[in-house]
Amino acid sequence: MKKLAMLLMMSVIATPALSEDSEGPYSANSQAKSWSLFGEEKARFEARVTDALCELTGDCPDDCGGGERPMVVIRKDDNKMLIVNKGGAPNFTGANYRLSEYCGQDVEVDGLLVGDPDLTPGIGAKVYQVQLIRAIGSDEWVKTNLYTKQWAKKYPEAKGKGPWFKRDPNVKAEIAKTGYFGIGLEADKKWLEENAE
Amino acid sequence: MFKSLLLAGAAIAAALPAAAASGDRVQITGEVIDSWCYYSGVMGGPDAVTGTAHHTCALWCAAGGIPVGILTEEGKIYMVLKWKDHDKVGDGKTILSVQSHQLVADGVHYERDGIDYILVEDIVADNGIPLTNHEDYGFVPPFAEPKQ
Repeated sequence: MKKLAMLLMMSVIATPALSEDSEGPYSANSQAKSWSLFGEEKARFEARVTDALCELTGDCPDDCGGGERPMVVIRKDDNKMLIVNKGGAPNFTGANYRLSEYCGQDVEVDGLLVGDPDLTPGIGAKVYQVQLIRAIGSDEWVKTNLYTKQWAKKYPEAKGKGPWFKRDPNVKAEIAKTGYFGIGLEADKKWLEENAE
Repeated sequence: MFKSLLLAGAAIAAALPAAAASGDRVQITGEVIDSWCYYSGVMGGPDAVTGTAHHTCALWCAAGGIPVGILTEEGKIYMVLKWKDHDKVGDGKTILSVQSHQLVADGVHYERDGIDYILVEDIVADNGIPLTNHEDYGFVPPFAEPKQ
């Protein structure tokens, strides 16, 4: 029953925005697409790009980790540091590779601030999903969907049909060891047998 | 001359990272989670995006470079920025093997603008995945089920 309720809820969540998303102080002129997320608020602003470890500790490689460190943007208006949790592509990918191309640069970003402590107790601030980025002075927005291209270069042997995340060699190795639920192959088998259509 | 030197110094200081503060040492106990699904609700409420039900999705997100968090029993989330000697924790493999696990971790904690961060130095205990919520939720998302 709980599973049915969950499926119903997810089908609603997956539906494109049915209602007006919340406006915030940085929503003006935003071109960001709504994803109907918790506490979603469109946000376009100027910022400096860096990686979180650098900003907090002073350990700063020139390339911000080359796409393999969690990235942040430091908003120009208020010097607020926002962790960038997600890129613009709906395929389980972050934005670290794209942002690292702008390491240390001043940019304009457009995307969604996400998170609502009423729905997810314990969170202290919203995180940022960056959908578009451009260097200050550039007219051209760039999408934050670089991950799969970088992934394909990194794992040429994983080329094939289906989405990248079902072909990723590291994910496949983990599932081969401990199963889809992570607690052993027997647990997967038992659940699949009991829930066969 | 002195004024020029002062201005030059101020310009250099402005170009450096703002904080670079020292963190505080912590030991935390919590579940290694995919922070995007937890914050955003994209896969459902917080109970559905933890534990065994969400394990495969957590693997996908960590492999995709989405920041990994540690969710404590008190509900606080620490974003992981370092894992032992690895500073490239978004490389898609370093933190895969402990996804959904409950860990006791030692490290250095920083807080900035409402978000907590941890540089994990040592895993004191790994309790595996105690939250077996797949009996309630099945696979989250449903297309994580094999052969779908």
